[in-house]
Amino acid sequence: MKRRIFLLLTLALLASFVLAACGGAAEPTAAPAAAPAAEEPTMAAEEPTMAAEEPTMAAEEPTEEAMAEEPMEDHGDMTSVGASAEGAASVGLTCLADAYNGQMQGTVVSMNGPFTDEDQVKFESSVKAFEDATGIDIQYEGSKEFEASIGVRFEAGDAPDIVDFPQPGLMATFARQGKIVPATDLVPDSWLSQNYLQSWRDMGTVDGTEYGLWQRFNAKSLVWYPKKAFEAAGYEVPTTWEELQTLQDQIVSDGDTPWCVGIESGAATGWPATDWTEEFMLRTTSLDNYDAWVAGELPFSSPEVKNAIETFANIWNDDAMVYGGTPAIVTTFFGDSPTPMFEDPPGCWLHKQGNFITSFFPEGSTYGEDYGVFYLPGVDPEYGSPFLVAGDVMAATEDRPEVCAVMQYFSTGEGIRGWLAAGGALGMQKDVQLDWYGSQLEADIAALVADATSVRFDGSDLMPGAVGSGSFWKGMTDYFSGAADLDTVLAEIDASWPQQ
Amino acid sequence: MTAQTATKKKRRISWGAIFVNVVLVLVVLAWSIPTFGLLVSSFRSRFDIQTSGWWTIFPHQEWVTVAEFTPGEEVDRDGVMTFEGVSGTFEELRAGIKDGSTQVIWIGNKRIGKVVVQQKEWTAGNHDFTLENYQTVLGGKTFQIQQPDGSTLTVQGDNFVNAFLNSLIVSIPATVIPILIAAFAAYGFAWMRFPGRKVLFIIVVALLVVPLQIALVPILKLYVGLDLNGTFLGIWLAHTGFGLPLATYLLFNYISTLPREILESAFIDGASHFTIFMRLVLPLSVPALASFAIFQFLWVWNDYLIALIFIGSKPDVQVLTQRIAEMVGSRGNDWQVLTAGAFISMLVPLIVFFSLQRFFVRGLMAGSVKG
Repeated sequence: MKRRIFLLLTLALLASFVLAACGGAAEPTAAPAAAPAAEEPTMAAEEPTMAAEEPTMAAEEPTEEAMAEEPMEDHGDMTSVGASAEGAASVGLTCLADAYNGQMQGTVVSMNGPFTDEDQVKFESSVKAFEDATGIDIQYEGSKEFEASIGVRFEAGDAPDIVDFPQPGLMATFARQGKIVPATDLVPDSWLSQNYLQSWRDMGTVDGTEYGLWQRFNAKSLVWYPKKAFEAAGYEVPTTWEELQTLQDQIVSDGDTPWCVGIESGAATGWPATDWTEEFMLRTTSLDNYDAWVAGELPFSSPEVKNAIETFANIWNDDAMVYGGTPAIVTTFFGDSPTPMFEDPPGCWLHKQGNFITSFFPEGSTYGEDYGVFYLPGVDPEYGSPFLVAGDVMAATEDRPEVCAVMQYFSTGEGIRGWLAAGGALGMQKDVQLDWYGSQLEADIAALVADATSVRFDGSDLMPGAVGSGSFWKGMTDYFSGAADLDTVLAEIDASWPQQ
Repeated sequence: MTAQTATKKKRRISWGAIFVNVVLVLVVLAWSIPTFGLLVSSFRSRFDIQTSGWWTIFPHQEWVTVAEFTPGEEVDRDGVMTFEGVSGTFEELRAGIKDGSTQVIWIGNKRIGKVVVQQKEWTAGNHDFTLENYQTVLGGKTFQIQQPDGSTLTVQGDNFVNAFLNSLIVSIPATVIPILIAAFAAYGFAWMRFPGRKVLFIIVVALLVVPLQIALVPILKLYVGLDLNGTFLGIWLAHTGFGLPLATYLLFNYISTLPREILESAFIDGASHFTIFMRLVLPLSVPALASFAIFQFLWVWNDYLIALIFIGSKPDVQVLTQRIAEMVGSRGNDWQVLTAGAFISMLVPLIVFFSLQRFFVRGLMAGSVKG
């Protein structure tokens, strides 16, 4: 009997060795460093076919053709420079032009980022055309624990060629360690200033060097409402802060709760409250003060920050204003919090969250029917209508030609076009056309952003990690759960700011 | 007299037994009820999970609507209103005015509300079960991706099968290798005399308290240099290294308690250390080996961090824990698949546990009392 156990163990061990061997051989990605060498022979063997194909490619110019089809339906081709060698060359994107001319066939660019599952599929399908046209293989690896693992990978010298940072603050850490190739070394400065607003470029700049290249963003200053019921009740979309307050009071006197708020998010509990703080910082004080606050020059305990928090805390701390009352705020999962809005009759009427929240809405609910969206109005007309955004910045760790080509590709609207069509992302590149958006919702949001008088990035993502994804989250949670008063919380956040 | 003491004694024993049993039952309930709830939830749709508890599958009393009407414009919503012979203000009606097993309740707000008459009735429970979660987990999700040219591309997401195999590929060698090495080491420490034996053993025991997190960066550096990064061999070695101190210590405690006479008589008969190890020590320490195998297998199977660092999360090499975490989506929007995913990933550890459990209890005590 004992012998049988040993036999079984040995068999299982052998089986897994065999499986591993098969798996390893079938998947060159299993060993990033070792694979290219092992692959070389096959590459060489394939070369003739590729070379044979090349003439046809040059003759037919499939990329040109693909492009030529579309503009006929909508607009001139001038805008999409990222889709062809000629277009790329015309604005000085030489790496990209070389790639389209087939000079980088068979090269591999590794990428690492935080988006997984559906977003990963959208990304991969959106770069498919580029991969087919250039022969560059973009190997994206998504990780749920990106923020934790990327640090270890940088430390160990195992960083991917391009990193997709959802937080520029995190990128700055590695940029200061000299581990990131400045974006301006890869993409010509003239093209960057032509295709990006200066404020985006500033947000990718660390200590005077522009490291990051912005690829996509999501909009935060949005309020969602149950459109059908909203119209049936005769409510109107508010365009000013006064109108919003009148609407809130109206809803309360009609016997309902206006807002659905939830800030629970596991280890990240509290982040929606930091978004609200940023929204009201932008709406109750100047942009200079906002920037100073994000940079750590204006302390949390200053009257400006306190006033911003109190402006929305007046809503949050009023049991009649929030679905489930104030205590429910910290215990409701942010993704579940808008659900009561879709009940019949609606449990709440307003929900402020970024555009990604639609993926949490009940299946089958449609924009324009079941829900609508409006811009969270400015509080003080003096500060205009600011827009809060967050987004993903690309940073390269290598300057190989194919990495350069991919970075240049991402700097064009074409680099995000497939994702825009698939939905779930917004592009900030100037050559992005509104009709590229696959859904009316995102086109509408892009239009709202375009109407804004100023755009600012999510402050907590720019602050040092100890604050932006630490004490700020925790402090807001403590305050709204009633564990501490506002002054104590703000003093604690100030104390946690890393000393230089 | 003697009979009295006997009953007294008996009673005392039975009180103790009752106490123990009650505690055990409570512990079992505390562990199994949430697991049962998870099992029920894994068969329910996301909206059901969100809007009603899993216990609503049991028969229970519920308010059932028997009549419903919309109050007209003429009703003064701010004053006292009368419906179906029941009158009250808006606030009172909103909360529901109860009369025995009937209640009149206002649903919705003053503008678009309706008045509903409800009766409390027994319902069989909510039995809207679905296999959707399991289908998603086992078959992979289907994504409809709209493309720039207006066409829709259907992409089949990764399924569990590959990740399941990867987990087996990682777990089995990462369990067997450390046990083999540790058994050799334990025998050496227990029965061979060589200089520095005590010092070496203390070092091994001291390694027990070193947290593996501090070793991640140096080992990854080493692996990058040796091209071991992202390979299964790399993660086998990593798990072996992290598992060895405990394995050696545990097996040493067991092997050193084997009767000296058996080993000595084998020596006298001319057996070498290797023969003794293979013929005597290994078969005799099966309980300890099996119990450690369970520990190590569960640890490796459930591991997320080491796999994330050393083999990464590419679809072709990622293990089950990573696959499950990824299925939830970038922002955790598909959390309902966790329920089914958890049960599927539980299967293998359960099989391992039950097939080795008869060694387990014996093995737990193995080495706990050193002879």
